[in-house]
Amino acid sequence: MNFRRIFLFSIPYIWLLALFLAPFLIVLKISLSDIALAIPPYTPTLDLSGGWVAFKDFFSQLDFENFTFLASDSLYWKSYLSSVQIACISTFICLMIGFPIAYGMANAPQEWQPTLMLLVILPFWTSFLIRVYSLIGILSQDGILNQFLLWLGIIGEPLVILNTNWAVYIGIVYTYCPFMILPIYATLTKLDASLLEAAEDLGCSRTSAFWQITVPLSKSGIIAGCFLVFIPALGEFVIPSLLGGSSTLMIGKVLFEEFFANRDWPVAGAVAVILLLILIIPIVLYQRNEQKMMEAKK
Amino acid sequence: MPETTPNPWNDPTAKPLIQFKNVTKRFGNFTAIEDLNIDIYEKEFFALLGPSGCGKTTMMRMLAGFETPTSGTILLDGQDISPIPPNKRSVNMMFQSYALFPHLTVFDNIAFGLKRSNMPKGQIADRVQEMLRLVQIEKFANRKPEQISGGQRQRVALARALAKAPKLLLLDEPLSALDKKLRQETQFELMDIQEKTGTTFVIVTHDQEEAMTVASRVAVMDHGKLKQVDTPDRIYEAPNSAYVADFIGEVNIIEGHSTTQRDTVSIAWAKGQPEIIGTLSKPGMDGNVTFLIRPEKIVISAEKPTDRRNTFQGKVVDIAYLGNLSTYYVQMPNGQMIKAQAANSRRRSSRPFTWEDTVWLSWTDTAGIILDR
Amino acid sequence: MRRFTWFNATSLTLGFAFLYIPMLIVIIYSFNESKLVTVWGGFSTKWYGELVQNEAFLDAALVTFKVGLVSSVIATILGTMAAYVLVRGGRFYGRTLFSGMIYAPLVMPEVITGLSLLLLFISIGLDRGIVTIILAHTTFSMCYVSVVVSSRLVSFDRSVEEAALDLGCTPFDAFRSVTLPIIAPAVISGWLLALTLSLDDLVIASFVAGPSATTLPIKVFSSVRLGVSPEINALSTILIGIVALGTVTASITTKRAVVRRRHEQQMAVQAG
Repeated sequence: MNFRRIFLFSIPYIWLLALFLAPFLIVLKISLSDIALAIPPYTPTLDLSGGWVAFKDFFSQLDFENFTFLASDSLYWKSYLSSVQIACISTFICLMIGFPIAYGMANAPQEWQPTLMLLVILPFWTSFLIRVYSLIGILSQDGILNQFLLWLGIIGEPLVILNTNWAVYIGIVYTYCPFMILPIYATLTKLDASLLEAAEDLGCSRTSAFWQITVPLSKSGIIAGCFLVFIPALGEFVIPSLLGGSSTLMIGKVLFEEFFANRDWPVAGAVAVILLLILIIPIVLYQRNEQKMMEAKK
Repeated sequence: MPETTPNPWNDPTAKPLIQFKNVTKRFGNFTAIEDLNIDIYEKEFFALLGPSGCGKTTMMRMLAGFETPTSGTILLDGQDISPIPPNKRSVNMMFQSYALFPHLTVFDNIAFGLKRSNMPKGQIADRVQEMLRLVQIEKFANRKPEQISGGQRQRVALARALAKAPKLLLLDEPLSALDKKLRQETQFELMDIQEKTGTTFVIVTHDQEEAMTVASRVAVMDHGKLKQVDTPDRIYEAPNSAYVADFIGEVNIIEGHSTTQRDTVSIAWAKGQPEIIGTLSKPGMDGNVTFLIRPEKIVISAEKPTDRRNTFQGKVVDIAYLGNLSTYYVQMPNGQMIKAQAANSRRRSSRPFTWEDTVWLSWTDTAGIILDR
Repeated sequence: MRRFTWFNATSLTLGFAFLYIPMLIVIIYSFNESKLVTVWGGFSTKWYGELVQNEAFLDAALVTFKVGLVSSVIATILGTMAAYVLVRGGRFYGRTLFSGMIYAPLVMPEVITGLSLLLLFISIGLDRGIVTIILAHTTFSMCYVSVVVSSRLVSFDRSVEEAALDLGCTPFDAFRSVTLPIIAPAVISGWLLALTLSLDDLVIASFVAGPSATTLPIKVFSSVRLGVSPEINALSTILIGIVALGTVTASITTKRAVVRRRHEQQMAVQAG
């Protein structure tokens, strides 16, 4: 019994220690190292054969130089700021689009609901890359959207959407919308319909019942949805590199290029560490919201 | 229980099936069971009764093997069972939620334990059929648990727990999920099945009526301690504490000071009121006492009765009409409230007493119980 | 009563149009005769033919499939174990760290996961290839499996397991004959999720894949960077088709099962 428990517990534990925690510690260490023209391209490397002296020597060579570099080079803090900005704007647009969809689903006849759920989940199972790709053909200068708008006569000449931040917003909203819809839909279906009747009975108009009852009671779903969009959007790489332009600064893309194009591993490590530090805030807030939801259930 | 069967708990030579010896169970700082001693005999239908959180479920889970005592020993047939894991104990349990395996049919649920007991395959089918007959659910053998009603599920759970013919069957609130009518019918069936199989049953319940109906003995528990262990009638008529009396049925509790004269006791309980006369339950009861009397043992009348010594005048302040009975809440001049019950033996008669009426309450010398305080 | 208003109908229509029109256009243009992706040149299936003959794509697809299959199976086993330990293991030393490591990869940006795993593989001298991709995919998808399975474990009545022990099962026997069949649907959906995540992953694979092993998403990404191509449209259509077929079949099967069960329950109530 006890042996079995230890066995059960230790395999996934060791796996995660080796392949999740250890790599992360390595990133932390490399972010404190210096770039070098060597393989691997950084220094110092830990050589345990040197004993305690080498160990101490190794630590004395680590410094925060890369972080000071990040702070001094405007490219980096601009990318962080612009990532946060893009993630915020996209999350807001997602909410504006996702809430009416979730609300419509919750109000739809009971027998439609499984199908509607399926329709929201289906894109999620479809390849992320393909969904982003499908936007390219629509948003490009001679794409379907421009052709359609020209045909309608709304615009005189094609809009430039692809390779701008607008395309990035559209891409994030398009791919992450299901993450916004599902939690909001979940809280809306749990909402007791008699509450709205009670509100109307007490003199609320239908619109004010929506704002006074429905919206406040779906708050936890809205918050959950926002974080579920915001957190992955912040570190997004595929969308800015396929839909965004050269002026689109997103930290995921910067990190990727820093690593592969510049081969500056220490700076890439520092970029990653700062990104994680920024992410901790929304993650902690999200966790707190989830906990509140759990307690409310009890 | 009928007098024809000897009561093993009164026989000092009888060997108990289960013995709790100084059992204590703690969960962190919380003491669920405190220094508990109890003997349960073979073929008993033993009820553990108490409010939720009193430790009765913990006792049962220790018998089943899901918890081990912090200190003390539990003996089954004279053998210490604490080192034996649940799957090796000749004890089976019927769970409150029934815990039927949702992916198996009724038949396979009942056969589940048998398949793990080296019983030959042919015999398993026979035994399952026997169990299905016993609890009258032969028709549903091939259904899944979700395809039968709550009452049928309860029977499957019982049959499954009985199939291995355990020495001891534990029932954790077995009827709590059923509605009242069905529950009452099932209580009698449970007693029937217990008698037929001759298995020792230990039932945990918070429903005093259920415990009184089914059990040969009832243990009343509170905060991890046994308050009283006795037959249902003794628990009701001779409770050993105000707690037990109050937990089982309704009771009036009057506090006073007693003086003994030969075999009667008089209790001074309020200034300006006649003393309550009672009979002595044990010698030397001078001092502060609690007098307990059940509402149905108090007679309510308009005139002062002359055939009994305990007569008190009061005013009706409330009446609860329960259909078969009415309970009158009568206030004594000192403010003490006394409940008296009267059977509504006649239909459509106008109520004999109404609010604000002055009435007489009376009872015989032996109607109440006197306890030390 | 909930009211389905015109506003609701409109937002649903527009919303689903937004979600589905881009994919529909990809599907339509995959049958376009013309090489020009924005001009309709008549119906043709020639791009599918070219796709089937494209060795590079086929090789990448094979690698992706192998990685997906192996990593999802390992991830399902590890993830189920982790879920069982988290939900049923009680308190143990390092539990907070353990649950933290289960949940962290779910919110970790892929670029960081990829970067850190690559640095690990380099520092231990493991050659990049199919093995490193499998290791990486297993690590993050086991966390998803674990979350899916543990939510099922939390919701099911623990006394069912106790009943199995009470009826003579050893703990392992109880897990095999009672717990596992009950959580099987969650384990299967966890496995499907792990498989999908693995087949779909671009960023992590870009970091840990070596020149010897390229996955389909990496291949697609590098050709998409150059713009829209009818071959990719054809490939997308096939992938969308597989997912749609799978999801719809699964939902119809479960719906049928629900209907059947409801019917049987009614019968039971009438009979009882």
